[in-house]
Amino acid sequence: MRPEITTGAGPRVAALAIALAVFLFDVLSPIEGAVAVLYVVVVLIAARAFSRRGVVLTAVGCLALTATAYLISHGPNETGAPLLRCLVSLAATGIATALALRHKADAAILAEQARLLDLTHDAVFVRDAREVITFWNPAAEALYGWSAAEAVGCVAHDLLRTRFPAEKGAILAELHRTGRWEGTLVQHVSTGGTITLESRWALQRDAAGAPLAVLETNTDVTERERTHARLVASERRYRSIFDNTQVSILQQDWSAVQAELDRLRADGVADLAARAADPAFAARARRRVALVDVNAATLRMLRATDRESLIGPLADLLPETDQSFPKALAALASGARTFEGEAQMRARDGTLVPVLFGIRFPADPAELDAVLVHALDITDRKAAEAAQLTLQADLAHAARVATMGELTATMAHEINQPLAAVVTNGEAALRWLKRPVPDLGEVTDALGRAVANGKRAAEIVARIRGFLKKAPPRRESLDLPEMIAEAAQLLDRELARQAVSLVTEAGPDLPRVRGDRVQLQQVVVNLMVNGIQAMAATSGRARVLTLRSTWQDDGQVRVDVTDTGDGIAPEARERIFQPFYTTKADGMGMGLAICRSTVEAHGGRLWISEAGPGAAFHMLLPVDGEDVP
Amino acid sequence: MFRTPTIAIVDDDEAVRTATASLVRSLGYAAQTYACAQDFLRAAPATSPDCLITDVQMPGMTGIELQERLRQEGRTLPVIVVTAFASDALHRRALASGACAFLEKPVGGDLMEHSLQVALAEGGRRQGAAVTGGA
Repeated sequence: MRPEITTGAGPRVAALAIALAVFLFDVLSPIEGAVAVLYVVVVLIAARAFSRRGVVLTAVGCLALTATAYLISHGPNETGAPLLRCLVSLAATGIATALALRHKADAAILAEQARLLDLTHDAVFVRDAREVITFWNPAAEALYGWSAAEAVGCVAHDLLRTRFPAEKGAILAELHRTGRWEGTLVQHVSTGGTITLESRWALQRDAAGAPLAVLETNTDVTERERTHARLVASERRYRSIFDNTQVSILQQDWSAVQAELDRLRADGVADLAARAADPAFAARARRRVALVDVNAATLRMLRATDRESLIGPLADLLPETDQSFPKALAALASGARTFEGEAQMRARDGTLVPVLFGIRFPADPAELDAVLVHALDITDRKAAEAAQLTLQADLAHAARVATMGELTATMAHEINQPLAAVVTNGEAALRWLKRPVPDLGEVTDALGRAVANGKRAAEIVARIRGFLKKAPPRRESLDLPEMIAEAAQLLDRELARQAVSLVTEAGPDLPRVRGDRVQLQQVVVNLMVNGIQAMAATSGRARVLTLRSTWQDDGQVRVDVTDTGDGIAPEARERIFQPFYTTKADGMGMGLAICRSTVEAHGGRLWISEAGPGAAFHMLLPVDGEDVP
Repeated sequence: MFRTPTIAIVDDDEAVRTATASLVRSLGYAAQTYACAQDFLRAAPATSPDCLITDVQMPGMTGIELQERLRQEGRTLPVIVVTAFASDALHRRALASGACAFLEKPVGGDLMEHSLQVALAEGGRRQGAAVTGGA
């Protein structure tokens, strides 16, 4: 913009020289005229060259020179025409000074305003009534790449190849009607690229009201638009994934539960995770977590026809026996960002769908109203697992039967030979006696051999018994809760199918036990299956299977397996441990007998007691340690 | 002319072998005992027994294989097969290769006596047929 009018020494010297010249001319010239009026020139030069103060001083100087020249030429007593001319000159100088000062002030304001336009980050330019650019600020230079010299004189929207958001006529009509227009433009820069601008136009009119110029202020919003477009695209992609993925996605609102946890924390609850997993708290929280949105995969998985039928509290979705939710709550309470687990979800048709799920808790608690839960239907996998377990059980059974068969055959052969010899010798002895002349020698020999073979048979029996005793279980160090957890996992499906809640409790500082992992696990599974089956006919009370492991004072570890079934009659309590005793239609009756002998082979004990409604099996196991054989 | 029939007994179990021999002798027959099939095959041509009682489960060659071997060699010797592990399959196989009787251990004295009588009578008939056929 126009620079502040400051100059070097030239004008000052010129002003001084002119002032001197005028003075001399005024004093020395014989011309009778208002020569001093020429001081106006000095003042005008000073106005350009000096500050306000300088201008005032110059004016005072000029006035003084005028008065001095008058006094020299005419003396103080002179009146009439010369005095009039002097007064005219003084007035002219004074008026010129006033005008110069006024102009200087106006110019300063204009310059200040112009500098503000230069300072703004917005591209500002002015175009006249023919749309020719008359002003172009530095921000416009920086934004568009054309300097003011290049831009001024060009037709604005030809230079910028502006694309308007509406028809140009309509835009101009609005501008002329209201004096303003705002909108988004796309314009080109000097390198050829396009930018998006938020544009504000202000119309300037002349005194008669005719359009004079337009001030166009443009803000570059290209990056903002791009970011917004990216956000929109991202949102669209997310929505597409949400709608089309085969993975079930459930959007849940956990904010109410978080608020409750925050309250507990404020109340000074120490172990928040433990409190969160507490059954009473979890039961309440189940109703306070809300399902907000689900995708199409979820509708398919839960056999629902519309989204609305699934929206509601989480309690509607999870069966009473669900064990995963309290764990998820504990994870949230302990500040975990993610949680994964297995659960079952109730489909609309009432069936339970086994799922593998992952929860991602947002880092910002304010976003807990939109927690995303991903779930995968693992019915097929579970079925395959169950089939595999059945197959394994069948194989194990077949292997046991085969081993038993082999053992039986060996035992039969071993014992049958001496028995055959006993019988045959006996028959021979009888016949030697029955002969017309009994041969007592042969009788004695035959009976002697019969006795010897009888003893041989007894020895074989003793040997077999010894052999069976000599097959000791493996002794390894076992983490009992871990082993119980594994056993429970095997029965996950069975528990769910029979609607049995499993409670596992392990006492503090539970030591490791010593034994054969497979055998003891079989015992645990057997006892659990027993409990589950005992509750199959139970109605009117909760089916709960409890496995409690405690360290007893006598140093042994005790496992109690308690069910809430109908219990076992006192007279049957000992008999259930006998081989071939069974209450089941398809049972072999070896289960509990084998369990007891297995536990006893480990140096432990297995017995039964009554547990309110239901039965309790108790197992004692030796602790793993140096002093235990 | 009367000759005491000779019964050959093949059993790997010494106690059973001795007891069977005693029973056979108490019934009025002569007894030869062998601990395995090979021993019998080596000695039999010379001793020419009238009947063979053989166990099935023996190391080397089973009683069934022994019987089949005799049949292949064209021997008409009647055979009584005795086993501790009777099965239908074994029974069929024994009878198919011409056993006179298939008995399960322990064998009662009366059953053995009856089986021997049947076998010896059968042996006599076969020998007659062989002689007739050979003439």
